[in-house]
Amino acid sequence: MTGMSMAITRRNMLRATSALVGGALTLGSFGALAQGAGTIKVGILHSLSGTMAISETTLKDVMLMLIEEQNKKGGVLGRKLEAVVVDPASNWPLFAEKARELISKEKVDAVFGCWTSVSRKSVLPVFEELNSILFYPVQYEGEESQRNIFYTGAAPNQQAIPAVDYLMSKEGGSVKRWVLAGTDYVYPRTTNKILEAYLKAKGVAPADIMINYTPFGHSDWQTIVADIKKFGSAGKKTAVVSTINGDANVPFYKELGNAGLKATDIPVVAFSVGEEELAGIDTKPLVGHLAAWNYFQSSDDKANKDFIAKWKAFTKNPKRVTNDPMEAHVIGFNMWIKAIEKAGTTAPDAVIDAMVGVSVPNLSGGLSTMMPNHHITKPVLIGEIQADGQFNTVWQTSGTVVAEEWSPHLEGSRDLISDWRKPMSCGNFNVKTGKCGGKGA
Amino acid sequence: MARAGPPFLDTRGIIFLAILIAAAVLVPVMALAMPPGSFFHMPVYLVALFGKYLCFALLALALDLVWGYCGVLSLGHGAFFALGGYAMGMYLMRQIGSRGVYGNPDLPDFMVFLNWKELPWTWWGFSSFPYAMMMVLLLPGVLAFAFGWFAFRSRVTGVYLSIITQAMTYALLLAFFRNDMGFGGNNGLTDFKDILGFSVQAGSTRAALFSLSALMLAGSYLIARAITVSKFGKVLIAIRDAESRTRFIGYRVETYKLAVFVVSAMMAGAAGALYVPQVGIINPGEFSTTNSIEAVIWVAVGGRGTLVGAALGAVVVNFAKTWFTGVLPEFWLFALGLIFILVTLFLPKGIVGTMSQWTSRERRRAGGAPAAAE
Amino acid sequence: MKSAVRGLRGLALILGMAAALLAAPGSALADAADDILARFATDRFADTEKAIADLAGSGLPSASAILEALAANKLLFDPQERKIYIGAEGAPLIDAKTGAKADAADAAAMKRVRTNNAVRTALQAAQGALGLTSPDPVKRRSAAEAVYKARDPAQRAGVEAALAAEKDPQIRDIFSQARAAMIALDAQAPDAQKLEAIDVIRARASRDTISLLSAVANANKDRVKAAAEEASAALQARQALWSHVQNIWYGLSLGSVLLLAAIGLAITFGVMGVINMAHGEMVMIGAYTTFVTQEWIRTHNPALLDYSLLFAVPLAFLVTGAVGVAVERSIIRFLYGRPLETLLATFGLSLILQQAVRTIFGANNREVSAPAFMSGSFEWGGLAITSGRMWIIVFALLVFTALQLLLRATPFGLRMRAVTQNRRMASAMGIDTNRVDALAFGLGSGIAGVAGVALSQIDNVSPNLGQSYIIDSFMVVVFGGVGNLWGTLVAGLTLGVANKFLEPFAGAVLGKIALLVFIILFIQKRPRGLFALKGRSVEA
Repeated sequence: MTGMSMAITRRNMLRATSALVGGALTLGSFGALAQGAGTIKVGILHSLSGTMAISETTLKDVMLMLIEEQNKKGGVLGRKLEAVVVDPASNWPLFAEKARELISKEKVDAVFGCWTSVSRKSVLPVFEELNSILFYPVQYEGEESQRNIFYTGAAPNQQAIPAVDYLMSKEGGSVKRWVLAGTDYVYPRTTNKILEAYLKAKGVAPADIMINYTPFGHSDWQTIVADIKKFGSAGKKTAVVSTINGDANVPFYKELGNAGLKATDIPVVAFSVGEEELAGIDTKPLVGHLAAWNYFQSSDDKANKDFIAKWKAFTKNPKRVTNDPMEAHVIGFNMWIKAIEKAGTTAPDAVIDAMVGVSVPNLSGGLSTMMPNHHITKPVLIGEIQADGQFNTVWQTSGTVVAEEWSPHLEGSRDLISDWRKPMSCGNFNVKTGKCGGKGA
Repeated sequence: MARAGPPFLDTRGIIFLAILIAAAVLVPVMALAMPPGSFFHMPVYLVALFGKYLCFALLALALDLVWGYCGVLSLGHGAFFALGGYAMGMYLMRQIGSRGVYGNPDLPDFMVFLNWKELPWTWWGFSSFPYAMMMVLLLPGVLAFAFGWFAFRSRVTGVYLSIITQAMTYALLLAFFRNDMGFGGNNGLTDFKDILGFSVQAGSTRAALFSLSALMLAGSYLIARAITVSKFGKVLIAIRDAESRTRFIGYRVETYKLAVFVVSAMMAGAAGALYVPQVGIINPGEFSTTNSIEAVIWVAVGGRGTLVGAALGAVVVNFAKTWFTGVLPEFWLFALGLIFILVTLFLPKGIVGTMSQWTSRERRRAGGAPAAAE
Repeated sequence: MKSAVRGLRGLALILGMAAALLAAPGSALADAADDILARFATDRFADTEKAIADLAGSGLPSASAILEALAANKLLFDPQERKIYIGAEGAPLIDAKTGAKADAADAAAMKRVRTNNAVRTALQAAQGALGLTSPDPVKRRSAAEAVYKARDPAQRAGVEAALAAEKDPQIRDIFSQARAAMIALDAQAPDAQKLEAIDVIRARASRDTISLLSAVANANKDRVKAAAEEASAALQARQALWSHVQNIWYGLSLGSVLLLAAIGLAITFGVMGVINMAHGEMVMIGAYTTFVTQEWIRTHNPALLDYSLLFAVPLAFLVTGAVGVAVERSIIRFLYGRPLETLLATFGLSLILQQAVRTIFGANNREVSAPAFMSGSFEWGGLAITSGRMWIIVFALLVFTALQLLLRATPFGLRMRAVTQNRRMASAMGIDTNRVDALAFGLGSGIAGVAGVALSQIDNVSPNLGQSYIIDSFMVVVFGGVGNLWGTLVAGLTLGVANKFLEPFAGAVLGKIALLVFIILFIQKRPRGLFALKGRSVEA
C-alpha cells in the first residue's frame, strides 16, 4: 500500500467515523434541545402515514387538542404539558423503535397511541422493559392485561356480546341465524370464537352459524355478499356480525348497498365501523345497519356537545366527526391527569398505582372507572346508521359494563383474572392453580 | 504491476471492515462500561437502532450481490429476510416455554387462545438452537433454489423476473397473514423472553447482538468480495453486461445465476434472523412488496455493484427515516421521496459510485496514473 | 292528494271498516286518531310500530303523508303536548293531523320520531297497504312488492280486493303471489289451498322465494311440507345452475376492474418501458378528482349531481394526464433506457403524491356517492346484476376500445408506436420523440385517472387507494404480455374469472395465492406473457 492511499484511507476513515458518531450525537442531542424546562411530556404514537393513517391521524389531532385545552387550564401540578409527535408509519417494528425513542430519548411521562393489536403487541415489551405508561384507545380482542398499559377501548364483552343479545331480542328482530364475517387477524378470530361459544350456549345450532374470513384490504365482495344472501334465504331471520376491519369496510358497504341487501332483510352489525368510516360512504342505502360501540357522536350529553364544538373549532372543519376511539382518548387523558394529581408526581410507578379507581365522566352521560384489570367500565350502545352518516342509538345498557379481559367463553382463559392492586399485582392470575401465570411464579 | 484482477481487499473494503470491527468492539464498551452521562456513553436504544441498521445493511449487501454483479433485480428479497426472521422467531417463541400469559408449556400463546390442541409439525424442532439456525439458512436457500431453478432455466429475465419475484413475496405475505398457517397471522411472533438463556431485553444481550450483526456483516462482505473478485465473479459480471454472449461462449448462465441467488438469499435470511431479536417482533408485514422495493433503493442510493455502497445506503436511508419520522412526522414522506428521486436523477451511480468517480478523476489529474481498478 | 284520499277510502271499504268509520260522527274519528297519533310521541319504538299499523287502518286522510314523513325522518313530536308535526328543513312546521301550517308550535321543543329496523319494516308494510289501490301503477307495483315481502295475513283481504280490481297483468301476478304467500304461511288455511299457493309462489324464481318456501316448510307438516321442500329444492337447483353464470359475471366484473386499473400501466410500462410505481397514485388522483368534481356540483348545481361522473371522466383524464406530462418532463425523460431506475424514481414519486393528497385532503376516506343509474340491482333470469358493476364493465370496454382506436387509427397513435418500436429511426423520420414521449406518458396517466373515476364507485377514496391496485396491475400487464393491449384485456378478464371460480371453494386468500403461483409458473412457460411481442425491438 502506498503512502498516498494510506492518507486517503485515514482521511476517509476519519470522515466515516465522524459521520457515524455525528449521527449518533444528533440523535441523542436532538431530544435534549427540544426539551422545555419542567414540562410534562406526552408521547403520541399514532401512524400518520401508511395504511393505518386513515384511522390514527384523527387520534393524534384529538390528543393535541386535549393537551392544548389542559394547558389553557394551567397544565397539571403547575407544569405545562408538551406533546411529542412521531410517525410510526403503520410499520410494526417501527412502532417498537419509536416507543423506545419516546421513552428513552424524549423522556415522555406517558404515551397515547397504537390502533392495531399488532402494534400494541410490538410495543408491549418496550413499555414493560422501560417501565412507562401506554394508553390504548381501541376496542380489541382482550386476552391481555399488562401493568404498563391502560386499555380504554372495549373488551369483547363490552361490545360484541351485547350486540348479539340485542339482535336476539324481539326488539332487534329475533335473529336465529348468524353470519360471522371478519378480516383474518386476531381480533375477529378471537371475537368470533367468543361469539360462537356464546351463541351455541344460547342454543343456536352449528348449522345456523356461518363463519367467513377475508384478507386485509379485501375489495371485491361480490361473492361474499351473494353467499350471505344465500345463507339468509333459509327462512329464518338472519343477521351478519361484522368484524371486517379498516379499508375493507368501504367496498363491503358499497357492495351491500348496490346489491340491495336492506337492513330490514339482513341487518349487519359492525364493531369496527364508526362515524369516521361512514364519512367515506354514501349511507343512504345503508340506513338501519347497526354498529355497537361505547360512544356515538349523536349522544345528547352536554359534555359531548361541548367536545364536538371544541373539536370542530380545533380542526377548523365544521364537518369533522367524532368517534369511539376519540372518546377513549378523552377518558384516558382525563384519567391520567386525575391520577397525576392524586399521586402528586408523574413517576410511572406512582401514577400506575394511582390510576386504579379513578373515575371520570364519559361523553355518553355516565362515569367511567379504571378497574384493577387496567380496563375501564363503559356503557354499551347499539346504533343504527342514518342517512346523514350518524348513528341513532336504538338500545343501550342501563349502566356501565365491566370489561372481561379474560373471556369466560374461551377455554384457555376461563380461569384467569387480573388485578394490578397489591398484593396480587398480576395480569393473569390463575384461580384454579392459585398462581400468577405469566411472571413465572 | 502485473495483476490478474483487483486486490482481494481494496482501500474501501479495508475501511469498511475496520469500521465494522471497531464498532463491534467499541459499541458494547460504550454501552455497558461507560457510565451514563459520560460523553462516550451510548444509550441502549441507540445500540438497538444501529443493530437494526446493520441487519438492513446485510440485506442490502445480499441484494447488491445479485443485482449489482449479476443483473438479477429481485423485488422479493424481503421474503428471504422474513423467512430467516420467522425461523429465528419460532426458536424464540419456543424459548418462552411456560412463561406465556396462559402458562401453557407446549403451545405459544396465540395457539392457546385459538384453541389449538397440539403443536403443528412446522414447529417441530425449533426448540433446538442449531436446528433453528440451520433453518435460518435453509428456508431462504431452498426457496431461492426452487424459484431460481425454474426461473433461470426458462430464461425469465429483466422486468419479468422482477415482477415474478414480487409475486412470490406477495403470495407469501398473503399466506403468512392467514391464521390457519399457524405462524401467528397478522400479529406474527412477539413477546420474546430470551435467546440461548440470555434475556433479549438485557443491555448486554443487545450489545452482543449488535456486535454479532457487525461481525456477520463483515463476514458476509468477505464472502461477497471473494465471490466477486474470483473467476466466478467475472462470469457473473459478464452475464450482467451481456447475457446472451456469455451463454454463446459456453457458460451455463443459469447455474451461475442460481448459485449466486441462493447464496444471496441465505445472507438475507441471516440478516432477518439477527433482526428479529433486536426489534422484538416478526410479522407478515416484512413480506410486503414495499419492503423489498425499499431494499433495492438502499442499494441504489449507496451505489449498485459496490458492496460497501449497498451497506452504506441501507444505513443512510434508514437513518434518514428514523430522523425524519421524529422531526417531520407529517412531512417525512416528502423528504424521503425527494431523496429517492434526486439520487436517481443526479447520483445514478449512488453515493459510493459517485465518490469513486471523483477520486479516480482526481487521481488521474494528479498523476496521470491509471484509474483505480473497478 | 285527492287521489290518495280516494285510494284510502277504497281501502277502508275493503277492510270492512268503512261502514263503522264513515257512519261514526267526526269527533269519534278524531278522538281515535288523536290516540293513535299520540302514540308516535312516546319516543318508544314499540309504540311507534303499533301506531303505524293502526294509522294505516284508521282511514285518516293524512295517514299517507304522515307515514311518508316518518320514512323520510321528517316527523317531529312535541313531548309536552304529545302532538306530531311534519317539519322539513327550512320549511314551516305542518300539523301532521290536519295538514295545516302550525305557526304557533315551538320548533325548538320538537323531537324527531326515531325509527329502527322494526319500525321501518312496519312502515313498509303499512305503506304497501295504503298504496294497493293507488291509481299510479308504479306505486301499486311497489306496494304489491312490499305486501309480498311483509306477508302479513291481516292484509289478505286488502290484497284480494286489489287483485280483483287490478288490470295490469304483471302487477296482478305480484298480487296473486303476495296472496299465495299469505295463504302458505297462514296456519288456519286448508292444505289444498296451501298446495295451490306453493305452486303460485314457485313461479317467482328469486332468492327471497326460497327463503319463503323454507319458512313454509318449517311451519308445516306432511304434504305441504313435502311440496314446499320440493319447490324450494327445484328453485335451489335452478339457482345452482345459474350460479356458474353468476360466477362468470362476477369474474367479468372483477376482471373489468383489473383491466381498468392495469390499462394505463399497459401504456406507461408495457409500451414505454417505464416501471411506473406511481401508477396507482394516478388512479388515486383520478378518484380524488371525482370527489372534488362531485363536491363542486353538489354545492353549485345540485340538479346535475346525477351526471357528476360524466363530468368527472374528462376532468380526471385532463388532471392526471397533466400530472403525467409534468412527471415525464421533469423526471422520466432523463431515465429512458434505464427501466430499473424509473422504478426507484417513481417509487419516490408515489410516496410524495400519497403524502401530498394526505396533506391536502386529510387521511380519511372521502365520500363519492353513486348516481341513481348506478345504484341498486336487478335480476335477469337467475342472474343478480348490480347496476354499478354493470356500468363499470361497459366503461372498461369503452375505455379499451377508445384506446385501441387512438393507437391504431390516429396519427398520434402511429407516431407513438413508431417511437416505441424504434426511437432513432422514428426521430430520423422527423417525429418529435420528446413530444411523443411526454404525450404518451400523459395518455397512460390520464387513462389511470379515468380508472380512478370508476374505482371511486366501489372502493375507498383514500390516499392508499393506489397501493391496493399496483401489484395486481403489474401482474395483469406481465401476464398478458408487455406491450400488448389485447394481452392486458385477456389477462385482466381471465384473472378476474379464475379468481371468482376459485373463491367459493378455496376462499379469497388461497384463491389469490393460487393465482399468483399460477402466474409465476406461467411466466416460466412463456417468459414474455400471453401475447408476446416478436421481433428485434423485444431485446432492446
